[in-house]
Amino acid sequence: MNSNLLIIIAAQAIFYGTPLFFAALGGVFTERSGVLNLGVEGMMLVGGVSAAWSSQHIEGPAWFTVLGSLLVAMFAASLVAAVHAFLCVTLKANQTVAGLSITIFAGAVGLSSYLANVWHVAERQVDRPIRKLDVLGMADTPIAGPLLFNHTILTYVSWVMCAVATWYLFRTKIGLQLRAVGESPQTADAIGISVVKYRYLHTMLGGSLAGLGGAFYSLAIVPTWVDGMTKGAGWIAIALVIFGFWRPDLTLLGAYLFGALQALGIQLKSRSVGIPGDLLDAIPFVMTIIVLVLVSTRFAHKRIGAPASLGVPYEREER
Amino acid sequence: MSGEGAGRWPAPFAFPQTLSTSVIWRADNGGHEGATMTNTAVHMTGVVKRFPGVVANDGVEFDVRKGEVHALLGENGAGKSTLSNILTGLYRPDEGTIELDGVPVSFASPKAALDAGIGMVHQHFRLVQPFTVAENVVLGNPQTPFTINAGDVNKQVAELALRFDMAVDPAARIWQLSVGEQQRVEILKVLHRGAQVLILDEPTAVLTPIEAEALFRTLRTMTAEGRTVIFISHKLDEVMSVSDRITVLRGGRTVGTVETKSTSARELASMMVGRSVEFNRVVRGRPGNPRDVVLSVQGVNGNDDRGRQALHNVNITVGRGEIVGVAGVAGNGQRELAEVIAGMRPATDGSVSVGGNTLPNGKARAAIAGGLAHVPEDRLHTGLAAGMSVEDNMALKTYRTPLLSRFGMLRRNAMTEQATELVTRYDVKTPDTATPVRLLSGGNVQKVLLSREFSTNPLVLVAASPTRGLDVGAIETVRNRLVEAADAGVGILLISEDLEEIMSLADRITVMYEGRIVADIPAANASREQIGMLMGGATLENAQ
Amino acid sequence: MKSPVRLERRLHQPKQLNWAIPLVSLLGALVVGALVLLATGKNPIDVYWRMLDRGFLSERALTGTLRTATPLAFTGLCATAAFRLGVINIGGEGQLYMGAVGASLVGLQMGGTAPVGVTIVVMVLAGMLFGAMYAGFVGMLRAQFNTSEIITSLMMNYLAGILLNYLIFNSTSYWRDPRSFGFPSGKPLEKRDFWPAYDVLGISIPFGLVLAALFAFVLWVIYKRSRLGFEVEVIADSPRAARYVGIRTKWTIIAVTAMSGALAGAGGASQVGDFAHYLDAKGLQLNGFGYTGIVVAALARLNPIGALFVAVLLGGLTNAGYSLQGPDFPSGLVGTLQGLILFCAVAGEILTKYRIRSNASAVTA
Repeated sequence: MNSNLLIIIAAQAIFYGTPLFFAALGGVFTERSGVLNLGVEGMMLVGGVSAAWSSQHIEGPAWFTVLGSLLVAMFAASLVAAVHAFLCVTLKANQTVAGLSITIFAGAVGLSSYLANVWHVAERQVDRPIRKLDVLGMADTPIAGPLLFNHTILTYVSWVMCAVATWYLFRTKIGLQLRAVGESPQTADAIGISVVKYRYLHTMLGGSLAGLGGAFYSLAIVPTWVDGMTKGAGWIAIALVIFGFWRPDLTLLGAYLFGALQALGIQLKSRSVGIPGDLLDAIPFVMTIIVLVLVSTRFAHKRIGAPASLGVPYEREER
Repeated sequence: MSGEGAGRWPAPFAFPQTLSTSVIWRADNGGHEGATMTNTAVHMTGVVKRFPGVVANDGVEFDVRKGEVHALLGENGAGKSTLSNILTGLYRPDEGTIELDGVPVSFASPKAALDAGIGMVHQHFRLVQPFTVAENVVLGNPQTPFTINAGDVNKQVAELALRFDMAVDPAARIWQLSVGEQQRVEILKVLHRGAQVLILDEPTAVLTPIEAEALFRTLRTMTAEGRTVIFISHKLDEVMSVSDRITVLRGGRTVGTVETKSTSARELASMMVGRSVEFNRVVRGRPGNPRDVVLSVQGVNGNDDRGRQALHNVNITVGRGEIVGVAGVAGNGQRELAEVIAGMRPATDGSVSVGGNTLPNGKARAAIAGGLAHVPEDRLHTGLAAGMSVEDNMALKTYRTPLLSRFGMLRRNAMTEQATELVTRYDVKTPDTATPVRLLSGGNVQKVLLSREFSTNPLVLVAASPTRGLDVGAIETVRNRLVEAADAGVGILLISEDLEEIMSLADRITVMYEGRIVADIPAANASREQIGMLMGGATLENAQ
Repeated sequence: MKSPVRLERRLHQPKQLNWAIPLVSLLGALVVGALVLLATGKNPIDVYWRMLDRGFLSERALTGTLRTATPLAFTGLCATAAFRLGVINIGGEGQLYMGAVGASLVGLQMGGTAPVGVTIVVMVLAGMLFGAMYAGFVGMLRAQFNTSEIITSLMMNYLAGILLNYLIFNSTSYWRDPRSFGFPSGKPLEKRDFWPAYDVLGISIPFGLVLAALFAFVLWVIYKRSRLGFEVEVIADSPRAARYVGIRTKWTIIAVTAMSGALAGAGGASQVGDFAHYLDAKGLQLNGFGYTGIVVAALARLNPIGALFVAVLLGGLTNAGYSLQGPDFPSGLVGTLQGLILFCAVAGEILTKYRIRSNASAVTA
């Protein structure tokens, strides 16, 4: 039963979708504050290499090493995000160019690769990878087993995070203020809310989540460090933010959808089925374009669109 | 010396210095310091505020009693906005004092003013469009709890709205609301913050008459509770109907404060615009001919940027060599009118003809080609491309003509020649023609605009606020050029908030109020008070 | 929280900034890069010298550099053309791929039957056409629906890459070499149809680079001297002024975006005609020429002629990176330095618009 193709794909969808979700959730926070972050790929890779290195150097029980590695990954990525925030918020630079420069700087042929080289990270396997758990001993139960009880700890964390993020955004005062900053920084500023503070904090938070996603690649999926191992997952995460209409719950679903497509592609290839895997690969991107066009129309824009100030540097009007 | 303690002892047992009547009085009034009138909500005296080149407030006296609706009346530039900005903490006065409830205060920021109980409802709303009414109201209020329960918050806001007789749905999203409803949200915001003094800046500018009535009822409910309302306006009839007292500002000074019951629209208008002084009407070289029509606006209806109707059945004609003035306070549809005529904005009804030819609706190029020139209010970002050179801007309307371009390529030499010639002819002070226009002074910017418009040999020139913000010398130059052009046969539609300008330059004066032309009279027959009243919404008969 | 300094809008933009900023950005990046190298135990002087040597000085260096510079020049011009209007087209990557697809289609069809000059012209035109249409779609979405061209052009990059993979690896398409079973690859052009290279003082200059130089000049002329360029400047300066004068902004956006795509498409044609001589799906996707082109445009401050020089500079940097690849030379250094250059260019750009002022004496309102 559990080797049924559908079950396998569903379980794999959750697995591959988890890092996408983390990075995209980070993107949701950042974009909700009005900052466009195109440097996600770079931040994921920095997270990935930092996690791999930490995993090889932190002594102690397995859970301690894993936790430490994840924290280091998140911290390192948030530093990169701080640079992005500095460029975008303080220097009011063009956010697209700033984000691209971060990706080039930290990306596959950039800092992440450089550090991997200098720290000799790729030479050893990660010997404390994040393994899938057997929750409550129910990993083998039909259907529910692989779908609910056989995931890595990070997947379960991601479910909790989704709920917490939704609560944070829509039911707390800080979340309200964050959304106000993203929709109308002039109004927020006039009320006394610090646009700068919110943007910095949430850009760095977004970066740290991207780093967490990247760590998933080097500690769970592969698990070892390979240059550029996220293979564009960061860009997909950017698309996911739009696809999920800037809401954590829809983003989680979208991440699993994209993960399913990835899993489907792998399974089909291994069974030499004729459907071109390329078609499947293309679906997420085509769908994102469609969603983006729909969201830009005046009708949708008012109801479900991007935060109004996304990508626009905020300049307080001098009187 | 604290008042509370002294107030508790019966008079014979109190210390000698507390036997004065002021102590007993203080006890009645809950321990206020100082022997001032405690039914004064706001007292501003000797307030001076200077900006580069202008004294916006020049010793203003402003006194508002608790629980009244007090109107602040004045023309554009009289100093009303500056005064209210000082009261709400946006500006700090250079001189003078402000007292709230008899206590001197000084606000370091708008937040401080809000904390002190002064709330302002601006003309341009500051609302977050996708949020609900309730979310906008509680946003930024320090007392809002950490977790927001939509149900509780909605109930809170609904109760507040009910208390002040305002109909609003707390769960509605701002973009779904009409302008009147959005304004109610702005009012709820300040009430929620506990504002005791509310300042409303031209609140009925965006309301329909029915919505205005509802607003006035709400204001009455507020004052019945003891709150104070300051109502900034230029509309005489409203001010007469809703306020208890009126303070008129002119030229940065207080002209006077009157009881509404004992004044009239005529008296107010005359306070606003000043005594009928015999000002200098300009001497025209050649009078215009109203019968040789060069611009005809017929039955034009138009909408503003928000989609609301801004122009109602506008009819104007301008004859060859005539200067027709359009007087009115800003915000009554003047910008939309200029844009419709210039083809920048499509009219929803009616037509515009230049030189006898009807122009296609909403096509700027056709209007330009048809002989229409337009000097817009926004010089640097609409009439000109601020970052581009003088030369480029001089060619902005003619770059497609054979003189300046061939086979899609610009003839740069011809452009430079044209620019140099115009700069010399109109005496534009600029280092060279390659200088970006934003570096020029205000007067020279306007000269560039004017010279370019005139260089197209137009039949009609629509000039909106042509001398606003310019120094005396530049003002004279611009006015001379306009007269010169009119003498040469150009029909000029002069849209201006500066009544003096219109009265000195125009052959015929029309007045715009709420998107309608309410009068069209020869300048020789017009008086200042009359025009002032028309600008404030009076009808023609009442203004005689 | 009051910061000690504030940024104040500049009124003047001194002309020296035009070349001073890129220069300072470059130096700044080199300094920071040196710090990074030192921090990780490498000798910056040694590394930089070797890069200079392999990039520009040693025997075959310049040939390799120009080879790498050629696509960068095209994608740099692509980004320049669009950014000047304010359209952030980051789809140069995908537009280059599509240009390669179009050019190789046509080149293979011609199959050596026509004089090489004709073939080249047709290949270039096909490349430009495919690139223009691919980009024009993005422009149309922006003009008509106000959809963000940033995200759409990015998505299109991925779709173009998927197309390349499909054509070469996952199908038996016209482009695929039927003889390559073990490892699929593209069908090669006839030897006749290879684009020429010119030998000048021992350096081999690819035809594509000459073409790019020509395009740079043409783009410069368009922006400085033509009606279209004038209108673009007005729109970029003030959309309201464009409306005031009656400029058709929507059409301009589509036209300029298409033009920008055509330039990247020509770069794709050059990749096929000059270098690979077949549709190299793997190689094209590996290099990221489109994204680096954005760095080129930013550093050249959107000047087409400047873009040429910057392309050579960055080409040298990249080329040095390739040839120094090995245990001794850290692999990610090239990307890191490029990123640093871009950071500094971005930061430097701010200085053209703002001046740094101390807040010590500021009087608050």
